[in-house]
Amino acid sequence: MALNAACRSSVLKWISSPKLNWKAGAPLASTVGKQSERGYAVDPTKTLEKTSLLHAEEKEVVVTVKEIEDLSPTTGVPEEHVKTRLVKIYSPSKNPMQSGTHNTGHWQMEFDTRERWENPLMGWCSTGDPLSNMSLKFADKEDAIFFCEKNGWRWYIEAPKTKAPKVKSYAHNFAWNKRTRTSTK
Amino acid sequence: MQSSLRKVFRTFVCPTRGFKSSPASCHDSLFVHRDSKEDNLDVNFEFTPENRKRADAIISIYPEGHQRAAVIPLLDLAQRQYGWLPISAMHHVADLLNMPKMRVYEVATFYTMFIRKPIGKFHVQVCTTTPCWLRGSDEIVDCIRKKIGADVGGTSKDGLFTLSEVECLGACVNAPMVQINDDYYEDLTVQDTEEILDDLKNGKKPRAGPRSGRYAAEPAGGLTSLTGEPTGPGFKVRPDL
Amino acid sequence: MLRLPFSRGLPCVRVVWSAAVRGTASNPAPEKIEVFVDDKSVLVDPGTTVLQAAAMVGVEIPRFCYHERLSVAGNCRMCLVEVEKSPKPVAACAMPVMKGWRIKTNSEMTRRAREGVMEFLLVNHPLDCPICDQGGECDLQDQSMAFGSDRSRFTDIHHSGKRAVEDKDIGPLVKTIMTRCIHCTRCIRFASEVAGVDDLGTTGRGSDMQVGTYIEKMFLSELSGNIIDLCPVGALTSKPYSFTARPWETRKTESIDVLDAVGSNIIVSTRTGEVLRILPRLNEDINEEWLADKARFAYDGLKRQRLMTPMMRNKDGELVVVDWEDALIATASALSHAQPDEIAGIAGGLVDAEALVALKDLLNRLGSENLVTETIFPMEGSGTDFRTNYLANSTIAGIEEADLVLLVGTNPRFEAPLYNSRIRKSYLHNEQNVALLGPKINLTYDYEHLGDSASDLKKLVDGSHPFSAKLKAAKRPLIVLGSQQLARSDGAAILSHVQQLAKKLSSSAEPDWKILNVLHSNASQVAALDLGYKAGTAEIRQKPLKVVYLLGADEGTISPNDLASGGVVIYQGHHGDVGASMADIVLPGAAYTEKQGTYVNTEGRAQQTLVAVTPPGLAREDWKIIRALSELAGYKLPYDTLFEIRDRLDDIAPHLTRHGEVEEASFLDQSVELSKNIASSFDSSPIDVKQKHLEDFFMTDAISRASPTMAKCVQAVLKQKQSKYYEGEV
Repeated sequence: MALNAACRSSVLKWISSPKLNWKAGAPLASTVGKQSERGYAVDPTKTLEKTSLLHAEEKEVVVTVKEIEDLSPTTGVPEEHVKTRLVKIYSPSKNPMQSGTHNTGHWQMEFDTRERWENPLMGWCSTGDPLSNMSLKFADKEDAIFFCEKNGWRWYIEAPKTKAPKVKSYAHNFAWNKRTRTSTK
Repeated sequence: MQSSLRKVFRTFVCPTRGFKSSPASCHDSLFVHRDSKEDNLDVNFEFTPENRKRADAIISIYPEGHQRAAVIPLLDLAQRQYGWLPISAMHHVADLLNMPKMRVYEVATFYTMFIRKPIGKFHVQVCTTTPCWLRGSDEIVDCIRKKIGADVGGTSKDGLFTLSEVECLGACVNAPMVQINDDYYEDLTVQDTEEILDDLKNGKKPRAGPRSGRYAAEPAGGLTSLTGEPTGPGFKVRPDL
Repeated sequence: MLRLPFSRGLPCVRVVWSAAVRGTASNPAPEKIEVFVDDKSVLVDPGTTVLQAAAMVGVEIPRFCYHERLSVAGNCRMCLVEVEKSPKPVAACAMPVMKGWRIKTNSEMTRRAREGVMEFLLVNHPLDCPICDQGGECDLQDQSMAFGSDRSRFTDIHHSGKRAVEDKDIGPLVKTIMTRCIHCTRCIRFASEVAGVDDLGTTGRGSDMQVGTYIEKMFLSELSGNIIDLCPVGALTSKPYSFTARPWETRKTESIDVLDAVGSNIIVSTRTGEVLRILPRLNEDINEEWLADKARFAYDGLKRQRLMTPMMRNKDGELVVVDWEDALIATASALSHAQPDEIAGIAGGLVDAEALVALKDLLNRLGSENLVTETIFPMEGSGTDFRTNYLANSTIAGIEEADLVLLVGTNPRFEAPLYNSRIRKSYLHNEQNVALLGPKINLTYDYEHLGDSASDLKKLVDGSHPFSAKLKAAKRPLIVLGSQQLARSDGAAILSHVQQLAKKLSSSAEPDWKILNVLHSNASQVAALDLGYKAGTAEIRQKPLKVVYLLGADEGTISPNDLASGGVVIYQGHHGDVGASMADIVLPGAAYTEKQGTYVNTEGRAQQTLVAVTPPGLAREDWKIIRALSELAGYKLPYDTLFEIRDRLDDIAPHLTRHGEVEEASFLDQSVELSKNIASSFDSSPIDVKQKHLEDFFMTDAISRASPTMAKCVQAVLKQKQSKYYEGEV
């Protein structure tokens, strides 16, 4: 799934006070992120506090506002599969059965599970959910978020919990004064 | 033991079907424990008071907190006391050293000199590695087999002798040789071997060492080097220097 | 003539040099050293191994024996790599890097070394991949494809010279096919280091070496399933899962385990409508990479004893199948015919926060405040008003930072195995000391036993106990109070004493270090208390109850006899257990693999389960049942979707929707202040725990009680205890 990482932005003209010290783009984008971490799709109209700006002094500053188009009315996806679906954006964890780390490290989106049943004809797995096999991979989570918002799906992020590796040493097995020695293997 | 077993198999396995099969080379003792009449948890093992003292002395060598290093000497002590190592002896050693039983099993199974099944009073280990073999170890093996009435790996009916075939025991200069319990008997002939076994049977202790009259590993035909006086300085040096 | 090195010839230079060395050695923060992995530069701490350094630049060195969470063994030799100027390849897992090393992970020498190791491993490995359960997720398979030779020199086509090892019987969970073993010793190291059960080892030597227990013995551990994951080949596989599915046929849903209060992260593998197996999912803050046996193997309980349809008791006293409509109408009429104070809701241990809040909202709208959990928590003093009182405030990962752990009336080994494995990890690696107040039990590590009477707790508080000095000296002490002790008649006194002790220790401990921890035994308690449920049924049993709504309450804390005559018991839950058998109306709910529900673990971390399969039959998600019921009862709840009910949760307690995060609480001072008035008299009975032995661990809730695998485990443990080789370990 090739996606343009940069959000499409439109340049709006706002009358803004320099006191507010808004720089173009960035703080607004972070507001989007913060609201969205709570797990709901962002309404683009709410991302800007218009009122606070309108009262400001009359000085023209150009502010870039990240605005995400909602393509869902035009994609042809039935409304049921836009409004009621919840997307999980996550970075798959390592397979606990193996030591390899392939197929991890990217971000992936997945829909909530709907009913599946055994097909009486062949015994295969059937589902009425057209999105059940749609599992898209992204290089970073922003891409995934952008894609979901563009398609009007609610999403939430599950961040992996990892830690820096700790120093390991073969010598610990033979440490003279540590409890790690009690092990003989 | 390994090589003899291989030979025995080779003799008996004949190609009945279209393919040949050779046995996997494996040891002739099991590396898992099976309860048997002689070897089970009901066998009572405890160090005799005398050996207990020895055990304590051995343990005291090791620094505080690292007493489990004494596991090999203690297992050896147990084997000397009991003749071989029943599972209850391993447990006794584990309890003494306060270490997990599995860690004792690991040591006891790793070293081939820990015998984990009943064995005769005299453990006759014949070396059949190349130097001994070239010097006639096959005859020695045959002689012992006949003498004790048991095959390699077996024990004589009177429970006195167990015959094992072993790899090099490091006495190649005095080949062929056997090790009976702690003693080496070297430079053997069939006659010597019979003598040794008879002596042991009759409760006598045969003299250990070479049977050929040699003192140790010196050349059989007398010294061939270092025979004369040491040469002084200037030996074989050009006179003009 | 001058044969000495220059520096030796000039003594003054030498002195200066060694002084400089001493100067750097005493430096507390050692400098990072630069090494090159495939010509990519990387700065690492001194002592980092070659393998770790390579991982930092994204180069993965193949390995079999090395495992991040186990000690370094260095015996498989698969990780051999070339280091420039080294004549031989080095074992990357055990070799610490030196300054300026150039590590070549893809050179000719490295590739040849790997190929050689692979060849040796395969010489004695059976070619039974088609019938091996590891197939598809086998390290040996993958690495022989990636690094092995493309042709074989193994000419014994009759396979007669291959090694064969007899299989071991180590219990009903782990199947062994020891011929496949490549002697990586991961299982041995896991047993010895993490599980703390030194029962596995290697016997024999050379080609006779085998991994096993020597004597026939069950692997008596509550974490035994992890050796299945650790095994890089198919030597140790899952017995209940054997020959069930290939990994590529299954769907994996990342979820949360709810069978204890730890909230381990899991992956649920499903095919069609069936849960096939459960694997752990990496979460460094909770379960690391491990999973307790109950969480891993109790899944077959999800297929048995299920409530598939609504049921109602007929005149003959039998439960008969009815429609949802009938069941809900009957429930609604029972609820609306009772006086508000005659209605009570009791929540069990497996209920999600969404269902809890829905039931609470419904009963509150009906005018009833009788909402309780089955598990008791003392309501005296500040009770459950402060979260500090009922959370494991130091968090699970925080155990590793503690220098002294005092366990009060708890057996974390069976109440929360992964909590215990953290303590063991810190005990081994961080020289942490542990003390226990309670019955003498095997915790897998050494501890100081402080007695088993409540008066010992009093002594600890007033400082007259011999252990008090050590507690006071600790910089980061940690007190873990078992939730079972709070169910005692003197639970309030125990809690207040523990709080006082924690308060007292906080003066000598590091600032901001949290001391008090309550270790819960079920997954729903914290969420229920967060949402304002009261704890324990004692209070409501005094009331003239007409309608009791059991929300997954299966511990039998209330019986139909506690109800006024003509009372109605409604049971909503997923298993036909104690609750359903005494109910008049049964509403089938969803188990934790079948709903998206929020659970809060013992440290106060909200996490959510995801739908892996849909509920069987007519069963439905719990909060939806209550939502439907509310409409019929005339008090429609204002949420129709998951998003809306989560908004409601967010209104009550915002941390319930912040999944994955711990919401801290620090009101110890206030709760100590409020607990001063609590009567501090103790029972004479000794402090005891329910789960003392391994057989007590397996069947503790409706799901694991329905699981045949768990029943087999109990039987196997009891059988092992009859064996002469059993030595009273657990």
